[in-house]
Amino acid sequence: MVVRTLKRIVLTLLAVAAVVLVLAALFLLTQTVQRSDDFDRLQDIILAINIAGGVILVLILIGNLWRLLRDYRENVPGAKLKARMVGMFVGLAVLPLIVVFYFSIQFINRGIDSWFNVQVEEGLDNALALSRAAIEFRKRQNLVATTQIAQRLASVPDRQLVFELSMLRRESGASEMTVYADNSRVLARSTDSAVATLPKPLTEEVVLQIQQERPFVSLEPLGTGNVEIRTAVAYIYRGTRQRPTRALLAHFPVEERLGNMINSVENSFSEYQQLVFFREDLKDLLTLTLAFVLLLSLLAAIYGAFLLSRRLVAPIQDLVAGTRAVAMGDFDTRLPTPTRDEIGFLISSFNDMTQRLATARREATLSQALVEAERTNLEVILARLSTGVLALEADLKIRTANQAAGSILGVSLENRSGDSIRDVASGNALLEQFVDVACVHLDAGETEWREQIVLRGEVGRRILTCACTTLPGDDDTAAGYVIVFDDITGLLQAQRDAAWGEVARRLAHEIKNPLTPIQLSAERMRRKYLATMDSDEAQILDRATHTIVQQVEAMKEMVNAFSDYARAPDMDISRFDLDKLAHEIVDLYRTQESNVKIVLTSDPMMPLVEGDQGRVRQILHNLIRNAVEALEGSSDGRIDVHIGAAEIDEVEVVQIRVEDNGPGFQTGSVSQIFDPYVTTKPKGTGLGLAIVKKLVEEHVGTIRAKNRSDGGAMISIRLPLSEAAREKMIARMPGRTEKRREKA
Amino acid sequence: MFRFSPIELLKSSRRLAFVVVAVLVLGTGLAQDSIDREGYFEVRSASTQAVDGVHSLDARLQLVLSSEALAALESGVTLTIEMQMQVIKVKRFLVDSVEAELTVRHELEFRPLSQRYIVKNLNSGDQDSFATLYSALNSLGRIQGLPVIDDALLEPDRSYRLRLRAMLNTQQYPASLRLLFFWRGQWQLQSEWFEWLLER
Repeated sequence: MVVRTLKRIVLTLLAVAAVVLVLAALFLLTQTVQRSDDFDRLQDIILAINIAGGVILVLILIGNLWRLLRDYRENVPGAKLKARMVGMFVGLAVLPLIVVFYFSIQFINRGIDSWFNVQVEEGLDNALALSRAAIEFRKRQNLVATTQIAQRLASVPDRQLVFELSMLRRESGASEMTVYADNSRVLARSTDSAVATLPKPLTEEVVLQIQQERPFVSLEPLGTGNVEIRTAVAYIYRGTRQRPTRALLAHFPVEERLGNMINSVENSFSEYQQLVFFREDLKDLLTLTLAFVLLLSLLAAIYGAFLLSRRLVAPIQDLVAGTRAVAMGDFDTRLPTPTRDEIGFLISSFNDMTQRLATARREATLSQALVEAERTNLEVILARLSTGVLALEADLKIRTANQAAGSILGVSLENRSGDSIRDVASGNALLEQFVDVACVHLDAGETEWREQIVLRGEVGRRILTCACTTLPGDDDTAAGYVIVFDDITGLLQAQRDAAWGEVARRLAHEIKNPLTPIQLSAERMRRKYLATMDSDEAQILDRATHTIVQQVEAMKEMVNAFSDYARAPDMDISRFDLDKLAHEIVDLYRTQESNVKIVLTSDPMMPLVEGDQGRVRQILHNLIRNAVEALEGSSDGRIDVHIGAAEIDEVEVVQIRVEDNGPGFQTGSVSQIFDPYVTTKPKGTGLGLAIVKKLVEEHVGTIRAKNRSDGGAMISIRLPLSEAAREKMIARMPGRTEKRREKA
Repeated sequence: MFRFSPIELLKSSRRLAFVVVAVLVLGTGLAQDSIDREGYFEVRSASTQAVDGVHSLDARLQLVLSSEALAALESGVTLTIEMQMQVIKVKRFLVDSVEAELTVRHELEFRPLSQRYIVKNLNSGDQDSFATLYSALNSLGRIQGLPVIDDALLEPDRSYRLRLRAMLNTQQYPASLRLLFFWRGQWQLQSEWFEWLLER
């Protein structure tokens, strides 16, 4: 930018210098044109100045033209407008110049031609002819006088020649007379000049005339400005026998007045002839002078056109550049205000507009940032919510859904915005049931509804509390729906667990205490009265007391079991070898249960598990005992115990799977198999799996039960391998976090 | 009272036009081709002889005016014919140097009233008149006994060359016309240098 500005300044200075140079040269011309000496002295400077000025102007114009053509071809903004303006300005300048040039040339030609009119020419010719006639008359007179003198000298002896010549010269009025012998030797000379000068030899022309015996007469200009008439005649000297030929040369002065007139006529005629001779040259020179001045004017006008158009177009180019910048989003563009005219007003308005746009954008950005912040906060809140939030459009397309909604419904909804909830629900049992229930209400036109929904899936029941609100739209039509739901299965389970715990505690407290007196009383009764009774009665008493004692024992076992269920000691977390623990337990059952084949599949390289070893031991005991009890009466019972480590959803877990080939769970009880006092075995207390589930949940693990396709039951457990994994599982079980932590 | 003077105006205009011609005449075709030149100047012979220690020049030149110069002369324009002579010291290893230079200028003028051609020696002031141009040019082209240089001014053991040329001088005309004449071949009348060794 700085370089361009400097370049422009330099070019402008050069152009100004060129114009100043040309003006200075023209000024010098006007000053020196009347003084030849000055002009001769300054002509080289003037010539150099004019050439330099013209060359600089031409170079600058070529540069400007080249730049304009380049900009025009490259579609630079403003180039076409500048080209039009330059063309218009040049046209406006050229037309008057051509008119001026044409009429000036006409004026010059006619003006110069008017100098040469026929009358002047004829007058000069006549004056010259008249002068010539007058001179011819004088020349004839002088020639006649010279001839007469020569005749008189023909008989004058040489010794009297000088005297006679001087006398005759004075009589004739000649200024000088000289007599030459035939060999051009001077015989006598007479002159009226006081200064003695040597006589000049006869010129070839005179000699030639005399040799041809023809008289010589001519009008001779003198160096002093006067003129004289020279005559020469030949005569034969009769004083000797040889009769030699002699020549008499006479100089007749012309009066000064007549001489001046003759010079005047000759000078006027010569000057007129010179003027005629140089007439065409004069026209050419004047034409060229005019052309030169007009050319300089034209060059200056063209440069002025470039300069003016550039000044006019520059703000427009700035405006175009500013508009493009605004279109590109740069609202901080500020254009310099060049003038106070309409363009200046336009640029000022543009600056105001960009300033307002910038302010508006800043405010909009600020507002958008605030909205984004609010939205982010809302998303964070929604993401952290354990409650599922599902927003639907009026046509049941998903607008948004939080992570908890997907977790509860068992399907990922976060990236399904825009999809129909029905399409998403296809193939997903939980979501299908959820959508069915929701659609019942929505199709009925209920704007707000609340319901507890029980969803049945492969892993059991899931109980949701669901509330729906309609989003208001235009024209009292629904713009969408927001369904808020929460999985209260855990909550209900916890309530049920708490109730059963309380029941167990009360049973342990209320039932266990009277059992010992009952048993003691029955045994005392037997010892006291059995011996006193006859055999029949004794047999009845024996059987009755035995039954009482046996049932009391059974009730004690049951109360102890309830006591164990209600008892919840603190977790004792330690690192232990699960593989080793599993082998110990399986070996124990292998020795006790010879009719059941127990197969343990375990990974000896499995890492140590971080958990409560006692609780895990009880889990394995309960599961294997549950399977063994399920296989009672079966001849080919088989229990498969699989233990291994795995990484599921980036969480390291221990998987424990116990399968048997027994009768399996009764259909419909799978979802309630972990509830207390629910059992399918004739001898079960119904607390084994409930305790297992409780212990698993205390480890923040998961437990699932299902029937195998080829018969039998399968219970699968996943426990976190470490505390870190446990924390991750807690984080991924929204709604249960606090409860698990409390229990842990 | 306004006095109309065509000659003065012509001079002024020519001066003004000088600048124009300087810029625009270049390549405008105003110059005539040198092939069309009709006149020429030529030095036919030249020699010197020492008379009383002074070297005098005898030379014969052929001066033929071009048609344009002749027309100008017949129209009353005074022509200046210049004879240039240089005495050059011959150097063996260095560039030769001009030791002395002599220029003789003659004005040739035609008087319309007397119908005679006037030849005036501008150096001496002598003038002669001739009835014909031929005799005037013949007189101009005959140089006889013109003292050139005193032998005492020359180094004894040195060789000297002399050279002579004739040219039509246009310096007395207005500058604008001179520039115009410069591009017209018919006004470029100039002979080649005629050189000879000075005999001592």
